[in-house]
Amino acid sequence: MNDSAKENLRELLAGFMDAGSAGQAAEDIERGDALLRQWSAPQPGDAVLAEVKKKVAAVARRRHRIALQRRIWAAAGMAAAIVIVSVLALRLSERQPVERTTIKYTAAIPERVWEGSDITKDDADIVVLAAEVETIENELSGVQLSDTGGNGSTAAGDIETELIEISGNFWKG
Amino acid sequence: MTQRDLEQIIIGCKRGDEACFSQLVEIYGKRCFGYFFRLTGSRTTSDDLLSELFVKLVEKIGTYRGGSFDGWLFATASNIFHDHLRFRQRQTRLLDEHSRRIMSQPASTERQDDGDVDKLQVALRELDGDVRELIMMRYYSQLSFKEISQLRREPIGTTLSKVHRGLKRLRELME
Repeated sequence: MNDSAKENLRELLAGFMDAGSAGQAAEDIERGDALLRQWSAPQPGDAVLAEVKKKVAAVARRRHRIALQRRIWAAAGMAAAIVIVSVLALRLSERQPVERTTIKYTAAIPERVWEGSDITKDDADIVVLAAEVETIENELSGVQLSDTGGNGSTAAGDIETELIEISGNFWKG
Repeated sequence: MTQRDLEQIIIGCKRGDEACFSQLVEIYGKRCFGYFFRLTGSRTTSDDLLSELFVKLVEKIGTYRGGSFDGWLFATASNIFHDHLRFRQRQTRLLDEHSRRIMSQPASTERQDDGDVDKLQVALRELDGDVRELIMMRYYSQLSFKEISQLRREPIGTTLSKVHRGLKRLRELME
């Protein structure tokens, strides 16, 4: 006996009865314990203990295997979740440039006019205006190149004013 | 074996170490067998219950959260014994019905291994079932009265009184 032998029976029993009765009760219990020690129970056979150990080892192995499988499944589940989240994140990030392209198409000037290099096809007015601008530019070049003796600067200023006016009319439509 | 050694073995068991479980069988096998034998009087039944107890121990070792391991183990042993008793009672009812039908004597459901039944076993049968279990629990688990009363959720005075009266009666029967 370990723990039960450590306790002081008389002291324990004295909490419930007088000292004399506690002593008698303690003696009854001690004699009872001695009787049980005297008539000890039969022991399990070695074969029985070996069989129990074998069974216990098999159950422990099975439980260990199941625990391992659960851990693998949990890890696989976690990995699958990470892959799914990553794919979703990639798809979401791929959609963002498309939205930016849409904003690009909302520009005030049509892309056809903006991007087109052959303006004669775009607008007949633009052709006329472009021809006028070209003529004026040629005249301006001629004025700048010719030596008119002091009047050249005034004529160039007039042409420049006219050019600004034409350019303003052009952008007003 | 020290308490520290036992703790190390239990830690090993929680990790699923087969050798540690074998050590527990080595340490507690004989005491648990004695407990079952004195309650059932049958070697065969005790073998089965012992095996069941240690399988349960493997399954439930994770629920052991410290404290008296002996107390935890014998509480499990007590539960297994009570499950066995319930099974036997169901079996007895069925056999009694069957016996009445064929107009014969009721058959004994617990096969007693007469070769192993000693004078103490005969005297133990005369005790109240609860007192008999209490006395055997205290003797084989080696728990203190305080621990046993906590395990049984009854006042320590009640446990002391039952054990005292039971052992006194047992001695009278044996004399």
